[in-house]
Amino acid sequence: MSGFFGTTAADTVAIWIAAIVTLIVLGALIGERRLFGWSQHLLAGLATGFLALIAVTEVIGPRLVQPLVADPTGRPELWAGVALVAAAAGAPWLPRQLSIVPASIAIGALAAFALGGAVIGTLLPQIDASIVRPGDSVATTVAGASAAVVTALVLIGFLHGRPRGRVLSSVAGAGRWLLIAGLGGWLGFLIVSRLILLVDRIGFLVGDWLGLSR
Amino acid sequence: MLLVVVLAIAWQAPDVGWLRDSTTDSEDAERMTSVLDALVDEPLVLIGFDADVGTYAEIRPTVRALLADLLARDGRLAFVSLTAEGRSLTSAELARLGRGEANPTRLLDLGFIPGAEAGLVDLTRDVRVGEGDDGVFAQEVEGAGIGAFDAILVIGGNDLGPRSWVEQVIPRIGDVPLITVTPTVLLPEVQPYLIGEQLAAGLITPRDGAAYRQSLELGNLERLVEPTEPRPLPVLVGMLIAVAVLGQTLASRTLGGVRSAGSRSVG
Repeated sequence: MSGFFGTTAADTVAIWIAAIVTLIVLGALIGERRLFGWSQHLLAGLATGFLALIAVTEVIGPRLVQPLVADPTGRPELWAGVALVAAAAGAPWLPRQLSIVPASIAIGALAAFALGGAVIGTLLPQIDASIVRPGDSVATTVAGASAAVVTALVLIGFLHGRPRGRVLSSVAGAGRWLLIAGLGGWLGFLIVSRLILLVDRIGFLVGDWLGLSR
Repeated sequence: MLLVVVLAIAWQAPDVGWLRDSTTDSEDAERMTSVLDALVDEPLVLIGFDADVGTYAEIRPTVRALLADLLARDGRLAFVSLTAEGRSLTSAELARLGRGEANPTRLLDLGFIPGAEAGLVDLTRDVRVGEGDDGVFAQEVEGAGIGAFDAILVIGGNDLGPRSWVEQVIPRIGDVPLITVTPTVLLPEVQPYLIGEQLAAGLITPRDGAAYRQSLELGNLERLVEPTEPRPLPVLVGMLIAVAVLGQTLASRTLGGVRSAGSRSVG
């Protein structure tokens, strides 16, 4: 039982709609593509509607409009926010030089925070954690050395289009095989997650919808 | 379609005694329990709820058990999301806690924060509480900001998971334990942070989650967890089918290669 539904009439209707849409999606396995296509449109429409709802009710309303209405001169930076929202909304009709400003600021800020955080929060601490120190156990030393070797091989595997000798080519090939092995392991984890999702959907149909509890 | 039918039969089949998700010696489950035990009485916990709809089914029982455990420890929980998917799941879980009659004064919905990584940084400077929330918990959080919290729990699966919190939040706020529940698919990403102790504890695999759930004694808050444990049999059957399909593909390729080599040598 998913636990997402209560016992009211609205919940019963929601269970039926969810069950019908789940059956439509599973119906694609036996070749029913038209209804499956409609269900994809339904998902895209609902997701877009939900995003718009969040943008209006949780961002633009309380963080932009309400503070401006309460005190129009108190926070001038919010007027810049209004201008950016207007430029984003009017992008199809505005000159390109103007319409790209909001997206540029968003991408620039995102890249700056992500890169800075990756260096300070991940790269430096992880390098520090993987350095082998005197007094470490043999297992830790071997694990650290293996991690360093694998990392170096995979990084070399990314060398493309450069003049190489036979040794470097072999090392790069080993790096690429290690990368593929890593991706294979990761796909294995992904199969576990997706399989559990499928079993959960079957549990929803049998348990929540049909009421056939085990 | 045959797979779905087989899995449905396996879902309905009686439990197999020797097949279970949990073990009694899960180090990660014990580590999670010790981190929670070390928290102050009535801890304030900030929950970054950004699960992914496609993987939430895997961690849902553990997430619900952990929320119930925190409430059983008289914790107060503030939920925040930085992705739309996370926000939709947060709303659903808060509604479920409401139906389960969880104490509403111990729950606070901080809503959705836009801006991805920039939003996380903003959260470390200022925690905005909705206008309708004027309880003691809300006032405490509004006054002290992120410093009010004794721990941070990240429900991962989406783009903004434990890695983003480690990178953007922890360097800015210092010594607050960061714990996480994420699906198995994030194990390669999260494991280094657990080993490097940037994450205080994490429940990542179904086995760790099951071991943690088995260790709980929630009393009357049992009503907030899932009534039945996930069934390992259908997952095992599905995995065996996946391995069989993979094996069949490999075998047919190998046989094809052998045949073409044989025909070349004859020619």
